[in-house]
Amino acid sequence: MIGAYRALFVAGFQNASQYRVQLFLYVFFSVLRPIIFLAAWVAVAQARGGSVGTFGVADFAAYYIALTIVLHLALAWDAYEFEFLVRQGRLSPLLLRPLHPIHYAVVNNIVWKLFTIAALVPVLALTAITFGARFQGEPWHYALFVPSLVLGAAIRFLFGWIVATAAFWITRVSSVSTFFDRIQFIFSGQIAPLALLPGALQVIAYAMPFAYMFGVPVDILRGATTFEQTLLLLAGQGFWLAVCYLALQVAWSRGLRQYSGVGA
Amino acid sequence: MRYLRLLALFVRTELQFELAYRVNFLAELLSLVIIVVTSVAAVLILFAYTQTMNGWSFPAMLVLLGVFYIVQGVGELAFTPSFQQFMEQVRLGTLDFVLLKPASSQFLVSLRYFKLSNVAQVALGVIVTALGLARLGDELTLIALGEFAVALFCGLVLVYVLLLSLSTLAFWFVRVENLLAVYEAFLDAGRFPVDIYPGWLRLTMSTVIPIGIAITVPAQAVAGRLEALGLGLMVVVTIAAWAFARWFWRVGLRSYTGASA
Repeated sequence: MIGAYRALFVAGFQNASQYRVQLFLYVFFSVLRPIIFLAAWVAVAQARGGSVGTFGVADFAAYYIALTIVLHLALAWDAYEFEFLVRQGRLSPLLLRPLHPIHYAVVNNIVWKLFTIAALVPVLALTAITFGARFQGEPWHYALFVPSLVLGAAIRFLFGWIVATAAFWITRVSSVSTFFDRIQFIFSGQIAPLALLPGALQVIAYAMPFAYMFGVPVDILRGATTFEQTLLLLAGQGFWLAVCYLALQVAWSRGLRQYSGVGA
Repeated sequence: MRYLRLLALFVRTELQFELAYRVNFLAELLSLVIIVVTSVAAVLILFAYTQTMNGWSFPAMLVLLGVFYIVQGVGELAFTPSFQQFMEQVRLGTLDFVLLKPASSQFLVSLRYFKLSNVAQVALGVIVTALGLARLGDELTLIALGEFAVALFCGLVLVYVLLLSLSTLAFWFVRVENLLAVYEAFLDAGRFPVDIYPGWLRLTMSTVIPIGIAITVPAQAVAGRLEALGLGLMVVVTIAAWAFARWFWRVGLRSYTGASA
């Protein structure tokens, strides 16, 4: 398995290095989006005399910079490609290979993220300085951020695959993906930091998997959680990872039976 | 007149094409509704904490969001599908066949393909705008509405001009689909008034990529934040941009050689 992964990584990096313009655009996209909401919250904070709840301008800056990093490292886009594979029948040859198709996706994800993070960091550092971002974490925050990020990425990855398996039953998944993307947009901490979601929305957010994908690692990286809270949130992430893993097992085996291989 | 007939014909063929995939058509409509509803929710969350945002009231912000969806919807309905095809035609050399046709090449390249599900996006934009306008109530004057209409029209022309100019670049740089991606990135920033952004972004969105003014100025007009001078300036800029884009298009066309030749 390790040998297979090493070969896949080499091929993946060679493949990714062809797309330099895409790299630039990707970085540009991933920085611009959080700046949009950062600017909006800064405007709200200024209208209230400098802060919203416990968030000052510097905290919003830290939040959205942390969110950019987390989104960058934890986002997955497989559902869109998977639909294409099933619809065109291209999944069939992949199924004949000795490795489960999910392993190719894992490698592609990691390669693309490593490939782009180098370009992202300087831009983010610049943003952090212009907005005077305030990170208030202790060393243990940063230590626990790593497992939290990995868990968040894993939840998002498996969740994306669950949505993608819908392609076995319906030919166009993109509207299903859009639906979940928008739910995620509200409840994962992209529109607003989780702490600022009004009343019931916040409760819903913590009861669904989306907050554990992005919002939770972001709050840990910002140093906004106590030690006990952090452990509780990590446990929540573990729970949702297990749920997603089991759900994918079921969805995948049921779906494969349904799959007839279009064009075969 | 002849062009209107042609336009009707193009729309009809595109409609037939879309209706061949009815479930997909419905799914796209549903996605659009979800997107717009969640965006309104985002604005509601922001305004749960404040009455005004950089001077923008909630109704004014709704109008701005509505205009955002109108502009984005018209772009995705009428402009980008054709320009995407155009770039592909330049790359493959099949633009030759378009140029041979007895009609304005700029017209054929800009308004040939439509993505009709986006009619719904425009309609949703109009609904959100109307909600905002209704909430403005007494503050709204007839003059302001007139200014709104003029500014919105100018904004749509500016977006068309921007897309035409970006596409024209395809004559020199064959692979420019990525430039349309730049347009989309900046367009996304149009969902909030351009005046809340840091200097460099505000400047870019008011000059080279005029999406900021295309969306913000119409909303300013109904929010009573637009001076006559500002509107006049927008009209002048729009006319100048239009003239520039037509000139640029002709320059580009002259340097097209046809890939097969």
